[in-house]
Amino acid sequence: MSKSTWKRLIKRTEFYIFLVLIVLMVGVQIVSKGQLFEPTTMVTILRGMVVDGMFALISLIVMISGGFDMSFPAIAAFAYSASTTICVNNGWCKTNPLAGFLLAILFGAILGAFNGWIIANFKLNTMIVTLGTQTFFTGLTMGLFQMKEITSTLPASFRALGESYFFEVFNSQGQRSTMTTSILFLVIMIAVTSFVLRKTMFGRALYAIGGNETSAERAGYNVKRTKFILYVVVGALAGFIGMVRVCLARQSIPKAMVGKEMTIIPAVILGGASIFGGEGSVFGTICAIGIITVVSNSMLLVGIDSYWQDFFNGLIILIGITISAVQAKRQSR
Amino acid sequence: MAEYLLQMTGICKSFAGVHALDHVNFHIRPGKVMCLAGENGCGKSTLVKVISGVYIRDEGEVIFEDQKLDHITPAEATRLGIQVIYQDLSIFPNLTVRENLAINSEITARRKIVNQKRWDDTAREALSRIGYKIDLDAKMGELSVADKQLVAICRALLFNAKLIIMDEPTTALTKREVDALFKTVRQLKAEGIAIMFISHKVDEIFEISDDVCIMRNGKNVFEGPTAELTRDDFSYYMTGRRIRPEPFVPENISKDPVLEVEDLNLGRYYHDINFSLHKGEILGITGLLGSGRTELAMSLFGLMKPESGTIRLNGKEVRITSPVRAKELRIGYVPEDRLTEGLCMRQPIADNIMLASLNKVSHRGFLNHKRLFAEAEKWVKTFSIATDDAHKYAQTLSGGNQQKIVLSKWMNNDLDILILNGPTVGVDIGAKQDIHHLVHGLANNGLAVIIISDDIPEVVENCNRVIVMKDGGIVGELDGTDFTEQNITEIIH
Repeated sequence: MSKSTWKRLIKRTEFYIFLVLIVLMVGVQIVSKGQLFEPTTMVTILRGMVVDGMFALISLIVMISGGFDMSFPAIAAFAYSASTTICVNNGWCKTNPLAGFLLAILFGAILGAFNGWIIANFKLNTMIVTLGTQTFFTGLTMGLFQMKEITSTLPASFRALGESYFFEVFNSQGQRSTMTTSILFLVIMIAVTSFVLRKTMFGRALYAIGGNETSAERAGYNVKRTKFILYVVVGALAGFIGMVRVCLARQSIPKAMVGKEMTIIPAVILGGASIFGGEGSVFGTICAIGIITVVSNSMLLVGIDSYWQDFFNGLIILIGITISAVQAKRQSR
Repeated sequence: MAEYLLQMTGICKSFAGVHALDHVNFHIRPGKVMCLAGENGCGKSTLVKVISGVYIRDEGEVIFEDQKLDHITPAEATRLGIQVIYQDLSIFPNLTVRENLAINSEITARRKIVNQKRWDDTAREALSRIGYKIDLDAKMGELSVADKQLVAICRALLFNAKLIIMDEPTTALTKREVDALFKTVRQLKAEGIAIMFISHKVDEIFEISDDVCIMRNGKNVFEGPTAELTRDDFSYYMTGRRIRPEPFVPENISKDPVLEVEDLNLGRYYHDINFSLHKGEILGITGLLGSGRTELAMSLFGLMKPESGTIRLNGKEVRITSPVRAKELRIGYVPEDRLTEGLCMRQPIADNIMLASLNKVSHRGFLNHKRLFAEAEKWVKTFSIATDDAHKYAQTLSGGNQQKIVLSKWMNNDLDILILNGPTVGVDIGAKQDIHHLVHGLANNGLAVIIISDDIPEVVENCNRVIVMKDGGIVGELDGTDFTEQNITEIIH
């Protein structure tokens, strides 16, 4: 590795996040007397990263474009609640979950288009807009459509998808853990997001818009259209991810997503995305989600009261935001 | 080849009934530098936007390379070889130099997929056009303004530019960087590229341009070779009035000094500073950037603590420990960078004027808005600040008028000493004259004024005495007949 590449590497937040993740894992391994690297724990942690990891990736692409999407949990909740309700009422998805997923993606895209339309046309602050639509979408789910919890009546194919696994592992006490097939969704999404962000003009447009919107417009990007497409895609993906969660949890609970954005977005910032837009990578984001998942899982292993989880999550949020602000300040000099 | 690259005749453009451009005529010759000059709000930027296709003209004829253009779109302008380098340079600070160079061409070519090799080739080609060397992997935001500008120029050249429009390119550059930029401009000229250079700095215009077009109130009042223009004519065309220097004539200088500074030292910034200041005087402090002049001023206002030495006010020794203390001692300071240090841009003009004297218009901690505005209106009138409503934000005003607000802010406090650091930096010629006039009046009413400036003609015209600083020390003090531009320049260099 040449010297300048090395220099550039150690300047990047991602590099430190990766180090933190490694140090954290080694630390937990020691404190928990070797329980972290047990196959069952690793499998549980990876399983825990599936949904949060995918949510983090959609938050990442919005943040790169210089925006915030506070409404993705509300979109996901509406999409999976509506989709599951329709499937149950019509007796669909007994053997094939595809229709349920397509419905959720469609609902997500529609709500995302609503976000995109407001943001692209009225040039408003995205955080304020999506805070508003978040409440509005939740109102749709809970008030207007009065969607109910679906547990025992969940379509069989959803349940089957959630329970399917690639392999199973046992720990020394004989406890069983399974590697869910849904991990494939996360892997595919990591690959596709990386490709789109690095290798397509759409991805570079997101970085360009996040870096300087006026310049992007002058350079000939259709900023309005790019933003609209972005929010539609993000909405559709939120719907999809919500369905994955329904399958994994084997229940559809309209309120299950409340407050999700408050753990995901800070994690993305911790992973090196700038709150001012234009910066952020898939690698850093996944490392940060790894840190958060390892921390919450390790609490149980090490025997710390689960109330402390909020304390540590809060701490991580503060660290992440401080890093972002300090870096922005350093750059503006 | 035709004599003119671009000919524009009778261009009109109105916004909501207001003529921004009123029958403007305009010619650019290939391989020549044409300066577009004019005060703020004269229609310069509207004209640029008409050329680059951002605005559509209401009337008039545009001929580019013998071809009549009816309707110009931004894409069309790019295709024809017209490139605009805006004041903010339109760069992406978060991307690398390579990406900044290549991205515009990639967008224009409607590419969908990124090809590293092609981006790299494009970037190298762009740099080779002016033989400029820079690390392609460097992050754009970390470069100096001068480097950013060269990258922006290289990027423009990729589009086979025949005309490059530069919007006030020298604003944030040091003298040396300006020289480097001009070298590049001459190089482009030699290649047959026409440059349209927007500026209001007289020296630069006379140094670099072949032709000049001066605009005032949406009309062009002069168009022709620079050689046919004198500096006096230039300021006349810019402002519409003959600006005659009105040297400051002190009317009543006090017998005893109001301020005495003895053996003042501060580390590497300044040393052994001795001078005195009388009421009714305007004292100039000049010197190059880094000579310690600004640090000295900041010490007099309590912003930097001197290490040793004494300061006496009206014969009594004082310690100026903070700006609050300085205010109590009736010292006012107008900083160099009024945008970040002197004004709240997104606050009403009235609030800005009264900012330093809110206690005058409040009672037991409660503001009286009626009195605030009444008081502010008075200053708007006295200083003839160009606004119809003091409720408007300070950012709606031009640089000169903003500077008047900063001045009035301090006038409002009864002061003994007023320190002005670069009082007319970035101010139009007309407003400059107004400000000078105002300061003369203040001094003759018994205020002691210090003007810190590297604009030597300004110092000579407005001060009755000057202190010249170099490398932190005082190297000369001039008054009377010795006090000439030439003497100051000799001492500085």
